[in-house]
Amino acid sequence: MSVPAKIRTGVPGLDRMLHGGIVPGRPYIVSGPPGSGKTILCMQVLKEGLEGGERCLYVALEEPPNELKINMRPFRWNLDDLDVLDANSDIRRFEPTPVLEISTETEPVKMRSLDERIRKTADFESHEVTVHSLQQLLKNLFITRKYTRVVIDSITALRYFCMRDFEEALTTQSFIRFLTESGVTSLLTLEVPEDGEVPPEAFLARGEIRLHKLRDESGIKRFISVEKYKGSSHEEFVYPFEISSQGVVVHASQPMVTNAV
Amino acid sequence: MERVSTGVDGLDAMLRGGLLAARPYVISGPTGSGKTILATHFLVAGLRLGEPCLLVTVDEPPSEVKANMALFGWNLDRLKILDATPDIRAHKRVRSVIDVGTSLDVRDMEEVQGVRQSSQVRSLEVTVHSVQKMIKQEFANRLERTKQAYKRIVIDSMTALKLFSMSGEDSRILIQSFMRFLSELEATSLIVSERLDRSTIETEFFLSRGEIRVHKWLDGNVIRRALSIEKFRGSAFDDRMRPMSIGKAGIVVFTNMQATFRTGSSALRVGDSFLEARIIEEISNVLDGALRLVNEAHRRQLPVEDIEVELSRAMLHFQRRQYQKALKQALACDSALRQMLGEAPAVEVKP
Repeated sequence: MSVPAKIRTGVPGLDRMLHGGIVPGRPYIVSGPPGSGKTILCMQVLKEGLEGGERCLYVALEEPPNELKINMRPFRWNLDDLDVLDANSDIRRFEPTPVLEISTETEPVKMRSLDERIRKTADFESHEVTVHSLQQLLKNLFITRKYTRVVIDSITALRYFCMRDFEEALTTQSFIRFLTESGVTSLLTLEVPEDGEVPPEAFLARGEIRLHKLRDESGIKRFISVEKYKGSSHEEFVYPFEISSQGVVVHASQPMVTNAV
Repeated sequence: MERVSTGVDGLDAMLRGGLLAARPYVISGPTGSGKTILATHFLVAGLRLGEPCLLVTVDEPPSEVKANMALFGWNLDRLKILDATPDIRAHKRVRSVIDVGTSLDVRDMEEVQGVRQSSQVRSLEVTVHSVQKMIKQEFANRLERTKQAYKRIVIDSMTALKLFSMSGEDSRILIQSFMRFLSELEATSLIVSERLDRSTIETEFFLSRGEIRVHKWLDGNVIRRALSIEKFRGSAFDDRMRPMSIGKAGIVVFTNMQATFRTGSSALRVGDSFLEARIIEEISNVLDGALRLVNEAHRRQLPVEDIEVELSRAMLHFQRRQYQKALKQALACDSALRQMLGEAPAVEVKP
């Protein structure tokens, strides 16, 4: 079987690093420490899809969608047709109250119709998102809505908050396997600690785009690298990028030659 | 989008106008770096605008908070303070431990006097859940009494809350739920947190919508302070590390200056661990020096037992990572020893 033609990420400079783009239908990891620009980068990939008439889904596990909507406004991207699935768990109840599984209740909402205020936990019931229910919901959505690009933001939140009583490593692996089998192009964001090892999820995907954040006297310096890319060649260098009014812009013509990263 | 002033002009400028309203943020930094003072600036700014503000104190009893903040001459009388400091743990079985949530203790700062005494018959235990219940109840009470909702909340600190109350429970889910709870209150909240382990991803750091980091390090024997913004969702910000000082009027951030570290390597990653390494090095030097002087005193058969006790206290503080106290005590021992050995530091004039 031959590798399908690549699709563009739409992130200036990144497609060049990826020698044309990403192979569709596969899961990729976008990793980096908090505040490195993962969500913005993923949004650009979805915007590129929307502009090509694709159906795209953003699954929010860290940030309430109302805030996401406000945060993306300065970029002036047309994300009106983006489907946003609110997979943030409610406030947990400690008294025995009915816990609703997300799959029975939640539907993606178009970006344009998102509420500007936060969804409130109901008084007598609360939503709990488990990896199982989310997977079930996504499975149905993939069939009925035929998404081609999906962002899971973040796989860290999924592991931390939605895998109570599950074996984390195996369950994460199985979730990524599920995404692969669905044939959607998926980006999963992954939180990386400032000092320390990259979490094992990074090894499970077909490719990893890593964002680096370094502080020196002139402020925060941002760099991007392609750590792994199965089925394709890619640039081995670490390149500087900035978050401008157009989102993430990689300066792919000037590699940073260093051992510091 | 509405911006909320942090009460520190320089920081507001770095944030391009202030924090985005109704979201939770983290203030991080090592012990003694000024996190609580920064959080208090934020509350004072709210009180000046007539906004209802709530301080949830887990680390220090309200009486201490009051005494510490009196130094800056701030009027905190209208600040509501929720005392979530845990009681002395009862070790005897007969005492029943009750959930702190069942005895709501919210007071005006004005009324705060002594330390709440642990009850003889029962002791209050603090958990994330009970604190959450207390805040919720206080929000409802406030709304009922005054038709006003709290606009600003400070949790001081998440570190204490985690240490006290989350053993054995799944802290990640508890914190996620707690932060969801704070978001749903639609107040702007600051969570004070010490990063205990930089090699793991702590929940409050990646769920918060922004992180303000306070730095402190030793430069020779001068303590230097700086402040940086590490993350700020939905807004541009000044990404440089700016020097700051803590003076009579509280924190001042110098946005036209740049904080620099005395170091050779350029693209060095600076953060808590680096600063901590520096202060550790500094204190170990002082301790080593003092220990050498103790040996010397022994050789000369001088009585130094008292100083040795003090020195062991300094080492204990050091072990507990209470660097400021450790350094102070170690320096005191060092100078006492020098005096005793007749080698007064620097200029010594003999008659």
